[in-house]
Formats: sequence, structure tokens, C-alpha cells
Amino acid sequence: MEPLLSRNFNIPDAWKIGVAENRGAYQTARKVITSMKPDEVTAAVVASNLRGLGGAGFPTGKKWQFLPKDRTKPVYLVINADEGEPGTFKDRYILERDPHQLIEGIMISAFAIGSHKAYIYIRGEYVEPYQRLQAAVDEATAKNYLGKNIFGSDFQLDLVVHRGAGAYICGEETALLESLEGKRGLPRLKPPFPAIVGLFGCPTIINNVETLACVPFILKNGAEWFAKLGSVGNGGTHLFSISGHVKKPGVYELPMGTSLREMIYTHAGGIRDGRALKAVIPGGISAKILTANEIDVKMDYDSLKAVDTMLGSAGVIVMDQTTSMVKALLVACKFFAHESCGQCSPCREGTGWAYKIIQRIYNGEGDLKDLDSLLTIARNMEGRTICVFADAAAWPIQSYITKFRSEFEEYIQNYSSLRAWPPGVAKQSE
Amino acid sequence: MDSLQALDKEAEKIVAKYDQKNAAVLPLLHLAQDKIGYITSEAEAWVSKWSEVPVVHVREVVTFYSMYHQKPVGKHHIRFCTTTSCVLTGGEKVLDHLKKKLGVANGQTTADGKISLEEAECLCACENAPMMQVDDKYYGPLDEKKVDEIVDKLK
Repeated sequence: MEPLLSRNFNIPDAWKIGVAENRGAYQTARKVITSMKPDEVTAAVVASNLRGLGGAGFPTGKKWQFLPKDRTKPVYLVINADEGEPGTFKDRYILERDPHQLIEGIMISAFAIGSHKAYIYIRGEYVEPYQRLQAAVDEATAKNYLGKNIFGSDFQLDLVVHRGAGAYICGEETALLESLEGKRGLPRLKPPFPAIVGLFGCPTIINNVETLACVPFILKNGAEWFAKLGSVGNGGTHLFSISGHVKKPGVYELPMGTSLREMIYTHAGGIRDGRALKAVIPGGISAKILTANEIDVKMDYDSLKAVDTMLGSAGVIVMDQTTSMVKALLVACKFFAHESCGQCSPCREGTGWAYKIIQRIYNGEGDLKDLDSLLTIARNMEGRTICVFADAAAWPIQSYITKFRSEFEEYIQNYSSLRAWPPGVAKQSE
Repeated sequence: MDSLQALDKEAEKIVAKYDQKNAAVLPLLHLAQDKIGYITSEAEAWVSKWSEVPVVHVREVVTFYSMYHQKPVGKHHIRFCTTTSCVLTGGEKVLDHLKKKLGVANGQTTADGKISLEEAECLCACENAPMMQVDDKYYGPLDEKKVDEIVDKLK
């Protein structure tokens, strides 16, 4: 397979506009903006089966079509670069190594939806990627690829790079809008959806970095070509972030629908130190875990949904036979307890209590009944809050305990003999 | 407030980038913190003035986001990742070593004021797990020896 999104990742200085242009950057944007109608661009994106690559997998073209036709207010395009899902690091590669690919995608997408102002919301900790991205925006502005009369047309676009300040929840699109408006990142009740009432009360489209980086390829090579790269209903390729106990962790660009087994054993080099596979999280920490027997699954939105987990952000975390699922759940629960925005009671209380109970178990003070308490807490979080964070917090609890119940029971009963994982780790004292 | 007034020109430029002034709260807080090290009540008032957001709402924002410091931190600030991929690859052992080396616990600063340590949630560099961020820069994969080298070079 010819790399698309990753084609410039290992080209020296591809983040500079001269190198990027020598490799074809901005040619498609020029063609689109000077010769196409906005609706034709949207139609191509619809036909390409491009789906939101930030985690939700919603069809991108369809999202754009939700904008009201009779709008009087300005339309905003907001780019979600608040990468934060544990196990995911693909957007950082685009931001750091190929920012002009993203900017070109933003130009084409803004043209399609009739937006003249776009904001990129990048996570606060990504300081170096921010510097690269801001430098790229400045270069594109100096060349008048951004600003007024782009490519001699009457299309204009201003692009602002906005830094977050450390809050996982701001990756949720309405929390992101709140944060961009200078507030705490508390997700909004929907409806209204952002396409109707978004940033500053105006119609707004929010797309992920990788999603928009795909757009120039669709317009360059055709929607049908892009759709064929993937599996049914899941167009294109995807950047998979693979980490954990594999020999070669990293970002791998593969067609949608590549099998999880192939990813782990062929691309990521298999398990470290000749050990056996125990479990895999297929789509970031929020996704339900798969056991070693469940890895002959296609990695696309629909196939993973069919086995009751999700592609999510395509962050694949691999765990070998030495992994304690008790410890893995402790770490997941700590994450969600720390990151809950606190707005909805089931989530604020549920994530806190789940973390306390799993800590008790981990420290050898657990009771078999605690496992059912955890499952009850998870059930009472799922589907009962403003955003899907609480669901995401419930899924690891449910899947780890259900699929590895005997290990949890054994740990609780024989705590002293099993607690030495990983070697030398002290008892949690928080 | 005096040292912040030196930033007024930059603040004006930041506010001008946005369609509404309130959107400038986060970047103004970043600017103030970069200058004076943490967010003082004077800094909150200064951000409130420029963003036209009531100071109580600025305070809400400061307490919500983990990157805004409400008290002084070290000259160098370390965020050490404690989430899944970094734990799987032995991050806790490296973190324990770092704590002993610096003589600090989570959230503390070394006695000489040079280095502060924060246990962070996923910084999204899991391909280099275990990893940490020192000021603006990411480092990984880490072991005890590499942590020593990085920390010893900090001035």
C-alpha cells in the first residue's frame, strides 16, 4: 500500500512549506478553490465514506450537511487537535511532521462548508507540535494561502491556533467549544448540535486532525478511489497507534479493516521478549478489552462494533501474559476519576468510587462482593450523563471484570502471592 | 501587576485574533504563567481585564485545567506519565527512582526550587513509553539511567 497520511513522516523538514510544496502540498487546494463549487466538494467527501477519525467515526460529509441551509450567522470550522485518549498519538505525527497537509485539508473543508474562520484547538502539553503548527500557519499566511483572496479567488480564511491547558474532556467536541470560549470544559447538552448552535452560538463543524488531513487526497484522487482503500462503509486508510508490549510500537498507516492479529504480529513485530499475548485494547483506553482469542477481527468501525467494542481513536494497547488485569483496571479507573469534569453526578461519584474500590482490591483489602459493586457502579454510569465520558469509564470496568473474572477473584483470595506485579512496585498509598 | 503590564501589547494581539474577547482567557493565562511562573490573583485580574470575563470565572478556569499552576513550581517542571502504556512498560519503577533522586513526592518541588514533579495522565507519546515531559519537551523511552542523564543536565 502506498502511504498517504504518513507519506511525509520520514521526509526531512517536510514541516517546512518549501519541502511540503515540492511534495505537492496546496496543489489540490488550488484546484478545488479555483475550479469547484462548495457542494461538489461536500458531495465528494460524502461519497468517499470518510468517517471522523477522532474516535466517534461519524461520516464526515454527512456532518457537514447538517449545517442549516438558510443560515444567517457565520460558520466556524473547528479542528480538534486535543489528542488525549490514552494509547493514541497519531495526530501528533501529523501536527509535528506534516502540518501543511492538515492546513490544506482545512482550506478545502472550510471552502466546502462556507467558513471564513477556523480554529485549531491543540492540547496544551503539545508545545513542540504547537510551535511547528504555528510556524506552518505563518508560512501559509505569508504565501497568501490563508487570508483574503486565496489563489486569486474571492475565498478568504483566517486560521487561529488555540492551545488547551490540560483536560482530557476537552476532546469531547462540545467541551472543546466551551473551552475555546474561555470557560471550563463542561460538555453541553445536545441537541442543539454544534452544526446548528456551536462556537459563539453560530453553526460550527468540528473535525479531527487526521480526518481533515484525508480531505486533500479525496479531492485529488477521487472519492471512489478513497472509498475502495478501506472496507465496506469505512473509507480510506487510518493511522493506528500501537503501544504496550510489542516489539515495535509506533504509528502505522493501514487500510481500514486490517486484522488486529496482522497489526500486532506483522506490523508491530509481535510481543516483546517472546511472551504470549494476554489482551488488547483496540481503540484507546475507553474501548472494551479483547482477549488473546478475539484478535481475528477487522479493525474498522463496524467490525469492532459487531464484537461489542470500538475502533475509537485506533489506539491499540497490547498486554502480554505478565500483565495483571487488576493493575490495568486500577490505572484505567485512576485516569477516569482524575479526568471526569464533575458536571454529572453519576460520573463524578461513579468514577471516584470505582477508583476507591479497585484501589482497595489492589491493596489486598478487597472482597469478592466488590466485583459486583464495581459492575453496578458501571451500569449506573452508562447512558446516564450529558456526554459519553461516563460510558467510556464504565466499559473498561465491565469488560476487564467480565472477561477476566477468575483472575480478579483469585487476586482477591490469594492477594499475597500475586501482588508482586510488576516486580518491585510499592503498595498504592493515595 | 507591573510585570504583567509589560505583556499588554501581546495581550492586545491575542485578544484581536478572536471573534469574542472571552475566547482569549486560556491563551492569556498561558502568557501570564510563562512570564511569572504561576497564576497569582493579580494575574487573574489582568486576564479578567483583557478578556472582559469576570474574575471569578477566570478563577474557575484556573482551577479546572491541570496546566495552570496555583502555586510556584520549580524552575523546571516535570510531568511524568502514569497511564496505561507507560505503566505496562515499567514507568512506575522509573518514577520511583526519579522521586528518590529528587527527594520529592508528586506535586512537590526540590528544596533548591529547581525541579518540580507532577504525575500526569496520558501525554500521548505511548510509542516512547515510559515517557515524561520536562518543560516543553517530551522524553522517552526512559529507564533509570536516561532519567539521570536528563535531570543532571538541567540547569
